[in-house]
Amino acid sequence: MTNVSDKSIIQARNVEKVYPNGCHALKQVSLDINRGEVVVIIGPSGSGKSTFLRTLNQLETISDGTIHIDDISLTDRKTNINKVREEVGMVFQSFNLFPHKTALGNVALSPIKVKKKTRDVAETEGRELLKKVGLAERMNNYPSHLSGGQQQRVAIARALAMHPKIMLFDEPTSALDPEMVGEVLDVMKSLAGDGMTMVVVTHEMGFAREVADRVVFMEEGELVFEESPDRFFESDNPRLQRFLGQVL
Amino acid sequence: MEKHPHLLLWKAVFVLIIIGLGFGVYASSKSIDYTWRWERIPQYILSTEPLEIRSPFDGTVTVDETNKLVTVESDFGDEPLVIKGFDTLLINDGDLVFEGDPLVETKHWNIGPLTWGLIMTLQLSVVSLIFAVIIGLFTGLARISSNPALRYLSVTYIELIRGTPLLVQIFIFYFFIGTVLDLDRFTAGVAALSVFTGAYIAEIVRSGIQSIHPGQMEAARSLGMNYVQAMVNVILPQAFKRTLPPMAGQFINLIKDSSLVSVISITDLTKAGREVVSSTFAPFEVWFAVALMYLILTGALSWAIQRLEKRLSASD
Ligand SMILES: Nc1ncnc2c1ncn2[C@@H]1O[C@H](COP(=O)(O)OP(=O)(O)OP(=O)(O)O)[C@@H](O)[C@H]1O
Ligand SMILES: [Mg+2]
Repeated sequence: MTNVSDKSIIQARNVEKVYPNGCHALKQVSLDINRGEVVVIIGPSGSGKSTFLRTLNQLETISDGTIHIDDISLTDRKTNINKVREEVGMVFQSFNLFPHKTALGNVALSPIKVKKKTRDVAETEGRELLKKVGLAERMNNYPSHLSGGQQQRVAIARALAMHPKIMLFDEPTSALDPEMVGEVLDVMKSLAGDGMTMVVVTHEMGFAREVADRVVFMEEGELVFEESPDRFFESDNPRLQRFLGQVL
Repeated sequence: MEKHPHLLLWKAVFVLIIIGLGFGVYASSKSIDYTWRWERIPQYILSTEPLEIRSPFDGTVTVDETNKLVTVESDFGDEPLVIKGFDTLLINDGDLVFEGDPLVETKHWNIGPLTWGLIMTLQLSVVSLIFAVIIGLFTGLARISSNPALRYLSVTYIELIRGTPLLVQIFIFYFFIGTVLDLDRFTAGVAALSVFTGAYIAEIVRSGIQSIHPGQMEAARSLGMNYVQAMVNVILPQAFKRTLPPMAGQFINLIKDSSLVSVISITDLTKAGREVVSSTFAPFEVWFAVALMYLILTGALSWAIQRLEKRLSASD
């Protein structure tokens, strides 16, 4: 166990998820992710990608199996899930920015309320982060006055403000106009370059090829196949072939 | 909003209809041979009463050139008396006065019974409103809580209150609960009004919170906030803005509903109105005046809330 955890920061073992309505969304999913690794998850709609991602910060509880984040068990009742979530940032398809706060307010809110930083410190750090995602000029705008791409970059900065060890991305570019996809992917690339551990659900095959250390294919709640990107896209796995045939 | 092509015409029609209605009221009062005595009303709102200041000793009066300053020099070496800020002079410069002689008159403002009623209505409304908001907030939160006991409790409370008339609740609060807990009238009235309004506010709060996209709660939780932090910092501020219009309606209802507590002998605006009617024999005038005073309260409230809405719309 100690041996494994030296490297892997996320360990999901035999994860099962059955929704209250009976939908069996995850079946025996096991995945280890190493520190600094970028893992891309692809798969058809309804295959359980979002569900799996959301179990990693327990936005969804799991029905069976175990998940360890940085050696902390999520299924252990004694675990303080809020502490774990501070370490695991999440970026949503629909941004989910707080509409009543400016860009800077969004970024500074959690450090102030959760990490108990002073407003000054949190806002100074927030400005740095917004600069890093290219929004130095937009700090005092409300989300409704930002483009989709800008909103998503604020959302990334907001997650980074908690200094997470892991970042989860659930189709971060799917809700964007095509011309804005690039600016968000660029931020994610630079984040990967900084050595952030990232789990990314996306349909951007280019991003997977270029940035991922590993690509995972899910279908019907199962983790079907995982490989390094060059071997992944060369694979002759029939289910994967069928899926790639449809999207490419 | 698109401008109506005959805006001016329709405005004129509106004014004509209002004038017509006014005339109708006037004509119908004629037909029942009613004598309007509006002049009797103002004294019940605000009245003045002359107040005399008398000399405390024998002495000599000096009045300065501007007639604004009166000094009385005592014949026995007491501190001279200096009077400023009065309305009518009753003596002249150089007069000799004896102890107890009236020197000047000032107007003394008296608040009439209708105004006292208005103040009582305002007090009742404000205090009830504060408690109603607190009750409504927590009941609304309990209503959507995952804990079944809290949920059933809040549903029971809301259904009980919304299913019974306020008048009956006021009687229960005053005669039953008030007797058991030894409450005075005002407390019983406030309790009934806040418990009643709280049930409606709870529903407004619930629907406000449920109208916020669940992604907001998820985003807040994913950033490490606990449920309470997420509620306080993310959900409630947004829900607050959305619930302002229905809240405004509820607050206005509260002001109007407060007139019902006059049945337990709280002298609010309505009860004051009844009392004034019995001493003026001018019921029409009094009730119109009372209606106007309620309108001033509710109008001021809805104006204030509209201002607040404008301020909060900065993020739209
Ligand atoms: N809250 C829920 N309650 C019940 N069933 C759900 C819920 N969320 C998802 N599901 C079901 O679970 C399955 C997996 O859904 P999930 O959202 O994880 O798929 P996905 O791979 O992310 O799909 P997409 O690419 O469309 O986002 C689907 O069949 C979906 O209908
Ligand atoms: Mg999804």
